[in-house]
Amino acid sequence: MNDLAAATAAPLTGANAPAKLKVRDVHFYYNGYHALKGINMDIPEKQVTAIIGPSGCGKSTLLRIFNRIYAIYPKLEAKGSIELDGENILDPSYSMNRLRTKVGMVFQKPVPFPMTIFENVAYGIRHHERLSRADMEIRVEQALRSAALWDEAKDKLKQSALGLSGGQQQRLCIARGIALRPEVLLLDEPTSALDPIATGRIEQLVEELKHEYTIVIVTHNMQQAARVSDRTAFMYMGDLIEFDNTEKIFTKPGKKQTEDYITGRFG
Amino acid sequence: MSATSAEPIPRDTEHRSRTDARHDLFFRFLLRFCAMLVLAALLGAALSTLWGGREVLFKDGFRFLFSSDWNPVENQFGALAPIVGTLVTSLIALLLAVPVSFGIALFLTEIAPRWMRGPVSAAIELLAAIPSIIYGMWGLFVFVPFMASIEPTLSDTLGNIPVIGALFQGPPLGLGLLTAGIVLAVMILPFISSVMREVFQTVPARLKESSYALGSTTWEVVWDIVLPYTRSAVIGGIFLGLGRALGETMAVTFVLGNSYNLTASLLMPGTSISSSIANEFNEAVGMHRSALIALGFLLFVVTFIVLLIARFMLRQLQRKEGR
Repeated sequence: MNDLAAATAAPLTGANAPAKLKVRDVHFYYNGYHALKGINMDIPEKQVTAIIGPSGCGKSTLLRIFNRIYAIYPKLEAKGSIELDGENILDPSYSMNRLRTKVGMVFQKPVPFPMTIFENVAYGIRHHERLSRADMEIRVEQALRSAALWDEAKDKLKQSALGLSGGQQQRLCIARGIALRPEVLLLDEPTSALDPIATGRIEQLVEELKHEYTIVIVTHNMQQAARVSDRTAFMYMGDLIEFDNTEKIFTKPGKKQTEDYITGRFG
Repeated sequence: MSATSAEPIPRDTEHRSRTDARHDLFFRFLLRFCAMLVLAALLGAALSTLWGGREVLFKDGFRFLFSSDWNPVENQFGALAPIVGTLVTSLIALLLAVPVSFGIALFLTEIAPRWMRGPVSAAIELLAAIPSIIYGMWGLFVFVPFMASIEPTLSDTLGNIPVIGALFQGPPLGLGLLTAGIVLAVMILPFISSVMREVFQTVPARLKESSYALGSTTWEVVWDIVLPYTRSAVIGGIFLGLGRALGETMAVTFVLGNSYNLTASLLMPGTSISSSIANEFNEAVGMHRSALIALGFLLFVVTFIVLLIARFMLRQLQRKEGR
């Protein structure tokens, strides 16, 4: 394990784009359990970064630190620093409200709120901005268009979001996230509950969204990581093992463990 | 699979499936009987009170409903005072108990540290186990003197506000509609807060997380996500409490003052349907007895109407939501 510690001590940077999130020596404790053991990485701006690794490796945990969603539960603790545009978001004085307008999140299972499609998208916006009815309609339409849901949803904006299919619900959740105009979009296994066709649409959407947003996607589907991401991070047991261009990770990984994982020898 | 299905079915299986079908049939009949028993009991109670109160109900008709004149000596019976008393005390109880219960449930499910949740929940449930006679006694010996001491202040402050001021005028007796309403509020609080707490816990964590991830505060998550998600169960819990408040007898009888004079003030004594029955049943004969049974029937009707309104409200809300 000594070589691992040495390897992760220096930040693994993306060479070709400026870093949007600078993760420095992040540790995470869950009821005293040491779940992340000093993560250092630079998430490049306006690219897709995939985090892969076996179950329990800490990839979702890491993602959930990026918008401090873990903070709603007691007994969870993150140490270290994560800089978003030069400011440390783990600093308690960093406004939660501000952080969550800058960093949006989409969860594993589609979770539409029990309200109409329109209200689902407008809901988040209302927390942060006062908009006239007309402006709100424009914003909702923009968000639904960006999430490639407008054509399917425009005639039933006043209907309950629970009537949409699973894939549509997940795109609605993405629309809800980008309606706040965030800078970073976190996707936590966004297609694990979807069928292959719906998954394809989400992946296509990710491809389009990366021109405007910095995207971090956690997935345990390696093909998906290979398809959608520019850079891939491999995590194992709370350590970041390797972080490099996706092509390199999947063709000639630098570490034995990464190779074992992507060739399916464990995980 | 194909190998086993090719074998002939042994005769035993046939016998087994026949007895199974018989048992199922019997079981289904038994369950239906249990459900029907409830309906029969309800219908029986409603019809027998209607029959028992027929002399007054059919003789006086609407005058029984809209007259506040209750004079057993002259056989004059009007149920308006008990009806108003029942509704007003229950309404006060709901107005006080619902927000407090909401706060308790919210605190216990969203905010309280884990070690605190168990003991506080148990304490609330113990409140529900206190017999109503104890509440009545506590109300009369402890709470009524307290109310009598603060009522002058109430009349001097709230009593001066236009329109609602009329609700808070009168001599500081301690007994009265407001006192009864507050005691009722304490009594129904555990029911409402237990139900709310239970259903708040059923809200999926991912739904709340999604809302927090959009920058919602705890209050916004509760108001916009938790409440709509649990709405029908919450309303159900409120009406469970209301049902208890409408029918509560002993505690109310102790502190209500038992007066048939209808006044605008909440500080004045009044009466309720159930406490009228409890107070007068011993010495009632003839028309008087019939009037009391008719009151019992009215309690059925009032409760039924209240439940209908709840159903209607729920449907309106669902329509608004786009279902």
